[in-house]
Amino acid sequence: MTLATRSEDEVTVAPDDVVEDEPRTPRGWWRLALLLVGALVFVFPFYYMIVGSLQKTQNQSLSGALPQPGNLTLHNYSEVNAALDLGRALINSGIFTGGVLLATVIFGVLAGYALAQLHFRGRSLLFVMMLLLLMVPFQLLIIPLYVLIVRNYGLGNSYLGMIAPFAINSTAVFIFRQYFMQLPKELFDAARIDGANELRILTRVALPLVRPALLTAMLLTFIGPWNEYLWPFLITKQQRMEPLAVALANYMNTVQSTVANPFGTILAGAFVLAVPAVVLFLAFQRYFIAPNIGSAVKG
Amino acid sequence: MAQIVLDRIDKIYPDGTKAVDGLSLDIPDGEFVVLVGPSGCGKTTVLRLIAGLEPISRGTVRIGDLVMNHVAPKDRDIAMVFQNYALYPSMTVRENLAFGLRMRKTPKPEINRRVRDAASILGLEKYLERKPAALSGGQRQRVAMGRAIVREPEVFLMDEPLSNLDAKLRVSMRTSLAEMHERLKVTTVYVTHDQVEAMTLGDRVCVLRDGVLQQVDTPQNLFDRPVNLFVGGFIGSPSMNIITAKLTKDDGGAAVSFAGHRLAIAEDVVQARPEIEAYFGRDVVLGIRPSAFEEASLVDETWARMSVTTHVTESLGSEIHVIFVIDAPPVEHKDVADLAPATEEGEAAAALYKGKSVWTARVDARSEARAGDRIELGVDTRSLYFFDPGSGLAIGNKQAPAPRPARRGTPAAALQGQR
Repeated sequence: MTLATRSEDEVTVAPDDVVEDEPRTPRGWWRLALLLVGALVFVFPFYYMIVGSLQKTQNQSLSGALPQPGNLTLHNYSEVNAALDLGRALINSGIFTGGVLLATVIFGVLAGYALAQLHFRGRSLLFVMMLLLLMVPFQLLIIPLYVLIVRNYGLGNSYLGMIAPFAINSTAVFIFRQYFMQLPKELFDAARIDGANELRILTRVALPLVRPALLTAMLLTFIGPWNEYLWPFLITKQQRMEPLAVALANYMNTVQSTVANPFGTILAGAFVLAVPAVVLFLAFQRYFIAPNIGSAVKG
Repeated sequence: MAQIVLDRIDKIYPDGTKAVDGLSLDIPDGEFVVLVGPSGCGKTTVLRLIAGLEPISRGTVRIGDLVMNHVAPKDRDIAMVFQNYALYPSMTVRENLAFGLRMRKTPKPEINRRVRDAASILGLEKYLERKPAALSGGQRQRVAMGRAIVREPEVFLMDEPLSNLDAKLRVSMRTSLAEMHERLKVTTVYVTHDQVEAMTLGDRVCVLRDGVLQQVDTPQNLFDRPVNLFVGGFIGSPSMNIITAKLTKDDGGAAVSFAGHRLAIAEDVVQARPEIEAYFGRDVVLGIRPSAFEEASLVDETWARMSVTTHVTESLGSEIHVIFVIDAPPVEHKDVADLAPATEEGEAAAALYKGKSVWTARVDARSEARAGDRIELGVDTRSLYFFDPGSGLAIGNKQAPAPRPARRGTPAAALQGQR
């Protein structure tokens, strides 16, 4: 059999759309101004954090918002580093956050896939229960969780104890379920006929298609454990186990009066805490795009 | 190689919908069987039941000599082509083709050989490293086909594989499909709603309605000897003209009359179908295919004559479709209603013709018929179809295995239908 390769089969790839600058209308100017104001409102705290962290002596007046050449120093950073070992605290934060992320993604993907694609008795009930769990505030669970994890499991003062309560994130499960449900049913049918088991279908067929969702979920999850204060504070007993957020808070309460510019050192610590989150967002924002699911089906 | 045997299979969805009802079908090894029917008739469901993508409610499915009811799709040695192709978007064409073989732990050199072969059969060599997103619809369709071929399965299942292609490509792919089946001789079950595909591709064609098998036969037999009004109306394009008519017999011989027209029926037609005798003096549903008409001047006097006013003519180059109005209401029968689900357009058209029947006659391109003309048509009375106005069954079709009533709902309603 010969199938004619037809010329109309050739796919021409359209060149990237070139967006030309159009002259702005008055409305355009208004819109730009509004956006600028909004951007300033959001950027200012970051800006002030940096400026404040570099001040030799605290300047709370309005002029302090602008960097003064005579009043600049990196001393605050070494001060906060000496007091709470920034490197160690960052590593703790990293392990805590990384562990939560890993668990969130692994369990989220597995549970999301099962809730979306597998058919088993009680699936809808399970899903509803999971959604109900979302409504319970974490603060309500802290005491039973503490008893369970520290007393029963003996996981006090350990990374595992820090990670455990956040390991399964029902929001992530929900997001993954929705994404897996959007994929065309025939893809899964085809893979099943091709002889792939469910785990293979998940890893080889489904996951590559929801990669943007994976990254979105990871980025959104990242900020939670990275900034989490209450739970690690409860569970850590030694300073060498404290994540940065906890260490910084403790520092504010105890040692800040002993340094020249307490305000500046706190801002320096806050800056160190904020940098990874900002860097991650900037690095991955291009992944916030629509997935290329459409090419699976039709022409 | 494998035969497929479906034995009284039912599919009832959890919401109570009966998608397939007591379907029995034997497909011998190497046969190309087409399942056809209007949308929602359960044809795709049958395919999915054979594939094992959905569990069967009752009955047995055999592929080869094995009962497959509880066998996973991957262990049935089948390959399926989906309407929307279902290519894996994250893999290249080569990986798409190889996926099923890799999952079965086929040795690498063997995989490479089969992928190369399939790619050359389908003309995909140039595109092996591309991803589906960079392929045209026709190419994707070929990859989907290739994914089935490389597996060298016992059975091909195809779910409307050509319906997403443009008309020209569809015709060329249809030919390729026929050639491919001729070459590979693999048992194939093919689902389509397009009766041209069904007639041209199928060794045998199964007509389904509401999950009930109406008739299984060769395309020609389906056309010549439909078991009931539904099959008669569904097969053939343009579709059969039908009307409620009175069958009479007097000194001049047998005749059928409707709306002021009277068609004499040749004696041998009655002799060939003695069951017709029982209907003399009664109403029947008369079916005349557009191809049974011809311009009167072009045929001999054994053809009955009918004088009509042309409403519209459609010239197709090789033939002309003459559309005319018959002064009688359209046949109201369940079989007819099932053919064309009530649509607003349909109702608008019905209103336009004020409850009259619209017929189509296919005449030779030499005909000079123009819209508004009064023309004389010849009717080939040897190819008239007669149906019982109650049951809708063909009269005098010895093959007709009284089909079970196609009724959703209570058993009582089903019983009523049977009477």
